[in-house]
Amino acid sequence: MLVVLSAFLFLEFYANLFEQSVGYYLKWQNHQRPQLGRMWERDRQSLVAQAKIKSIRSSLDLQRETALGITSFKHLFEGLSPGFPLIISREKFIQLYFDFPGQWSERIISSYDLIDLDSGKNWDRVFLKRFGPWITLQFIDRQNIPLHELFLSIDTLFEVQATRTVKRGTLEDADIPKNRIFSISEFLPVLKSLDAITQKAVFPEARWFLGKDYHVTRVGISALPNGESAQHMLLGIEYNTDYYTGTLLIPVAVELANNMMSQIEKTDLSDLSAEGTLFSSGESP
Amino acid sequence: MIGRFLHSLNLLLGTLILVVFIFVVGLYFWLNQDLPQLPNNLQQINLSLPTEIYSSDGERIKILGERRPVVLGDISPYFTKAIISVEDSRFYGHSGIDHRGLIRALLTNLRNKRISQGGSTITQQLSKNLFFSFERNWLRKIKELLIAFQLEVTFNKSQILEAYCNQIYFGSGAYGVEEAAQIYFKKRAKDLTLLQAALLAGLPNSPNNTNPFLHYEKAMQRTKYVLNRMVSENFISIEESESALQSNIDLVNPQVASDPNLYFVAQVLNQLERNYGKEFVHFGGLKILTTLDTRYQKLALRAARNHLEALENRIVKERGTGPLQVALVAIENKSGAVRAMLGGRDYSYSQFNRAVSNNRLPGSSFKPFVYFTAMEELGYSPATVLMDEPLTIDIPGSAPWSPMNFNKEFAGNTVLKKALMKSINVISAKLVNEVGPEKVIRMVRKFGIKSPMGKNLSLALGTSGLSAYELASAYSVIANLGVYNEPYLIQHIDDFQGNRLYEHYYQGVQQFLPESLYPLLNMMQGVIKGGTGQVVRRMGFRHPAGGKTGTTNNFKDAWFNGFTKDISASVWVGFDNYQSMMSKSGKGLTGASAAAPIWVHFMQKVLEGKSPVNFPVPEKIKFASVDVQTGYLAQEFSPETIRVAVKEDVNLSLPPVLSNDPEKDEAGFLPDPVAINKPQNSIIPNNKNVVPDP
Repeated sequence: MLVVLSAFLFLEFYANLFEQSVGYYLKWQNHQRPQLGRMWERDRQSLVAQAKIKSIRSSLDLQRETALGITSFKHLFEGLSPGFPLIISREKFIQLYFDFPGQWSERIISSYDLIDLDSGKNWDRVFLKRFGPWITLQFIDRQNIPLHELFLSIDTLFEVQATRTVKRGTLEDADIPKNRIFSISEFLPVLKSLDAITQKAVFPEARWFLGKDYHVTRVGISALPNGESAQHMLLGIEYNTDYYTGTLLIPVAVELANNMMSQIEKTDLSDLSAEGTLFSSGESP
Repeated sequence: MIGRFLHSLNLLLGTLILVVFIFVVGLYFWLNQDLPQLPNNLQQINLSLPTEIYSSDGERIKILGERRPVVLGDISPYFTKAIISVEDSRFYGHSGIDHRGLIRALLTNLRNKRISQGGSTITQQLSKNLFFSFERNWLRKIKELLIAFQLEVTFNKSQILEAYCNQIYFGSGAYGVEEAAQIYFKKRAKDLTLLQAALLAGLPNSPNNTNPFLHYEKAMQRTKYVLNRMVSENFISIEESESALQSNIDLVNPQVASDPNLYFVAQVLNQLERNYGKEFVHFGGLKILTTLDTRYQKLALRAARNHLEALENRIVKERGTGPLQVALVAIENKSGAVRAMLGGRDYSYSQFNRAVSNNRLPGSSFKPFVYFTAMEELGYSPATVLMDEPLTIDIPGSAPWSPMNFNKEFAGNTVLKKALMKSINVISAKLVNEVGPEKVIRMVRKFGIKSPMGKNLSLALGTSGLSAYELASAYSVIANLGVYNEPYLIQHIDDFQGNRLYEHYYQGVQQFLPESLYPLLNMMQGVIKGGTGQVVRRMGFRHPAGGKTGTTNNFKDAWFNGFTKDISASVWVGFDNYQSMMSKSGKGLTGASAAAPIWVHFMQKVLEGKSPVNFPVPEKIKFASVDVQTGYLAQEFSPETIRVAVKEDVNLSLPPVLSNDPEKDEAGFLPDPVAINKPQNSIIPNNKNVVPDP
C-alpha cells in the first residue's frame, strides 16, 4: 500500500494524476450536466432577447404584409381602429388613390396637392390613426416627421363605405334581379348619351377596367326596395378577370337609375320591334 | 516488529486512501448536479452583442454589455508575462491547481479561521468568472476547482489564458484587457508598454483599491510589485524593470464619472426594460436612437452647476444636508422629443432622477392651469377683474382657509393678466373656489399631467407634487397653442442586422383651440416682461418667451418653467431633505432667483445664433390696452394700463351706463367714475357691468 501511495504521490506531483483523472472524468460526463452558471445564464438571456426580437419582427412583418394586402380605401379605413394606427407606404397610398373607381379620392386630398407634397422628394409613408370622431392622415418622411397632415371626419368612412364598392361574384350574387341585368353593349349607348358629369357619377374611367385587364360583361340596376323611400339604387358593373368574376357597385340617384332603365328598355324594345318580335310585358293593356 | 509496523502502516494508509477515495467520490456525486456544463468553445463566451444607445446628434452615449475579445496574438506579451507572474507563476506547470499555492492559502485560512486568501490559479479564476458566484465558501471553491480540472484537460493553456484575459475585470467598467487598455491608455492591448502592462496586470486582484484613476499611488506601488514579480520569474531583467519605472505611463484623463447623459440613459433603459424586458435591452444587441441632444445636455449641466455653485456660497446649510439639487427637462414643442434631462447635479453622487421621479410641490408654477380652467369654464378673460383682498374660505369639516399673498399685501381690483404676472395667491384661490378643484384637475389631465392631485382648494397654490418632466410637457402644450405631444425619449430601435423594431410617430392631439390658449400664452409672456419672471429679461434673454415662477412654503422648492416657440424647459432647485433655501442675509431663494437664472443660461446657449421666432397669433384674437383696475379699454384717465390678448368676441368697451352725462343719485352724488369688467358671480355685490362673452 505504501508503494502504491508513494507511486500515487509521485505521479501526482510530477504528472498531476489526480487533477487529470478528475478532469477527464468530468469531460466524459460533460454533456450530462446541466447548463448552469453565469455564462449559460447570459446565453439564456441572449436567447430570450433574440426570441423577443424575432416576435417583434414577425409582428411587424405581419403588419407590413397586411398593409401591402390592402386593396381599397374602404379596406384601409375599415381596418383602422382607435389605438391601432396603420402605416402604408407612399406607393401603396398612390395605388389606392388612383385605384379608386371614381372621383372620391380627390376628397381626401387633391391630386395637385399630392404633386406638391411629392415635389420635396421626401414623402415616404402615410401614417393613419383614428382618434375620436376623426381619422388623421399624416404624410411623413423617412424620419417620421409629418410633411402634411389632414383630418377626415369619421363620416367619411361611412361615405366611402356607401360609395363605390367592389365585390367578388356576379350581379346576381349582388342581389340584382335578372330582369334588370343587361349586356354592356346595351348599356354603353345609354351611358354615352349622358352628360360628362353624370357619366363620371355613374361609371368609373375606362382606365380602371382596361388597366387591370378587367373585361366588363354586364350591367345591372338594383330594384327599389318595396315601401322604402330610398334615394339611391345600385348600378352594378360585372367584369371578368383571368381568375374570378367581380362586380363594382355604384350608388346612383333613383331618378337617374330609373331614367337609365327606361332608356335601356326603350332601346331593347326598339331593337325588338325592328326585328318584329315584340314580346308581351305580361300586363293587360 | 518492523514487519508488523509496516503492516499496520499499510493498513492505516489503505484505510486512509479508501476514506479519501470514498469522500472524493461521495463529494463528486453530491455536487454533480450543481456542476455546470462546459461549452465546446471558450470563444463562445463573448458571443453576446452589445446594445448601443445613441443621441439624436449621433453620439454613442452608452454601450451595454460591451466586450472586445482579442486573440492572444493581439495582446502584448508584456501583459501575459506580467499577469502570469503576479496571478499564477506556475500556470504552465499545473493542471488547474497549484499545490504549493493551495497549501499556503489553506494554512493561512485555517490560521485565520476564515477564507482570507484564495491561492487561485488563472484556470480557477476563469472557472469562477464563467460559472460561479463571487461568494466565498468552501463548497463553491471545490466546484470551481473541479471545473478548473476539466478546463485544463479540455482546452490548452493558450486558450485558457486568452479567455482569462478577455474576461477579467480591471475596474472603471473595463472587462477584458483590450477594453482596459482603451480606458486607461487609449491604445490597443497589443501596444501596451512594459510599465502599462504591469499596471494593468496589477488591477484584477483589487480593481477598485488599485484603480489608477482613483488611487494613483497605490496603483504605482502595485505596478512595482508586478515588475518585481516579473524579474523574479525571469520574464524581464532588473534593468528592464528599472527602465520601465523611469518611463512615462501615459495614463489618459479619466472619463468623467458624472457623465451628464446618464440620467437620460437610465430613464431610457428603465422605460425599455418595463416595455420589453431586461434581456431584450441588455442582450439584444440593439441600436437605440434617442431624442437626447448632447449639446443641450452639456449646456444644461453647465448652467445648473455654475448657478448652484454660486447659490451655495450664498445660502445657509444645515449639517448633514446634501448639496443643493437640480432637475431640468427640455422638450421640443413641435414633436414632444425630450432634448435634455438633468435628474440631479452629479450622477456619480446620486443616481436618483429628480426630473422624473421627484414629485415636488410646483407652487405658483401651477397657476397658469388654474387661470386657464377659469377662462374656459367661467368665460373669464385676461381682462376680467377680481378683487385682491384678505380672503377666508369656509371649508366644511375643516378649518377656514385664508390664503396669503407672497408679499402679504393686497392689490385691490386687478385684471387676471396682472394677477398672474404678479402671482397673486388670493386671486388664484378665488378662481379655484369658483371653478372647483375637480374641473382644474380634469383640465390639467388634458395638458398631460398624470400625477395624483388633491381635490382641495389649495391646489390653486400648487400643493400637489409634480415632476419637472410633467411640467415641461404641460407648458409645451401652451407653447404649441393647444397641441399635446406626448413626451418621448426613443426615436427608433434597430436590431443588430439593422431591422427596425420600433419607431416613434408624432401623434399630436389638438387638446384646446388655439384662440382659447393664446390669451394664457400672452399672460405668461407678461410674467417675463413685467411680472415675477422679469429676471429673464433682465439677464438679457431676448427671444419671445413665456413662463412662470414657482416658490413653495418656506422656500423649499424653487421653479421656473418657460417656453419659446420651439422649446419648453422646466427647472427645479431644492434640497433632497426639504430644507429651506435661505440666504445668509435671511432672504429666501425664490423661483426667480434660484431656478430662472439656470433656465436663462441654458436657453440662451441653446438658442445662440438662432433668430427670434414669434408665437403665431391665431385668428379670432384681438389685442387691446385695458385699465388694470377695471378691465375695460384704457382711457385717458386710466392710472395703469396693460395690454391683453383676448378672444375676438370679448367685449372690452365701457358699458353704456358710463355715459358722458352721468345722472346724480338720490343723495345728489355722482356714480363711481369707473365701472369694472368683472364676472357676474364675483364677490362684489350688485355689480351690473359687462361680463366678457364666454
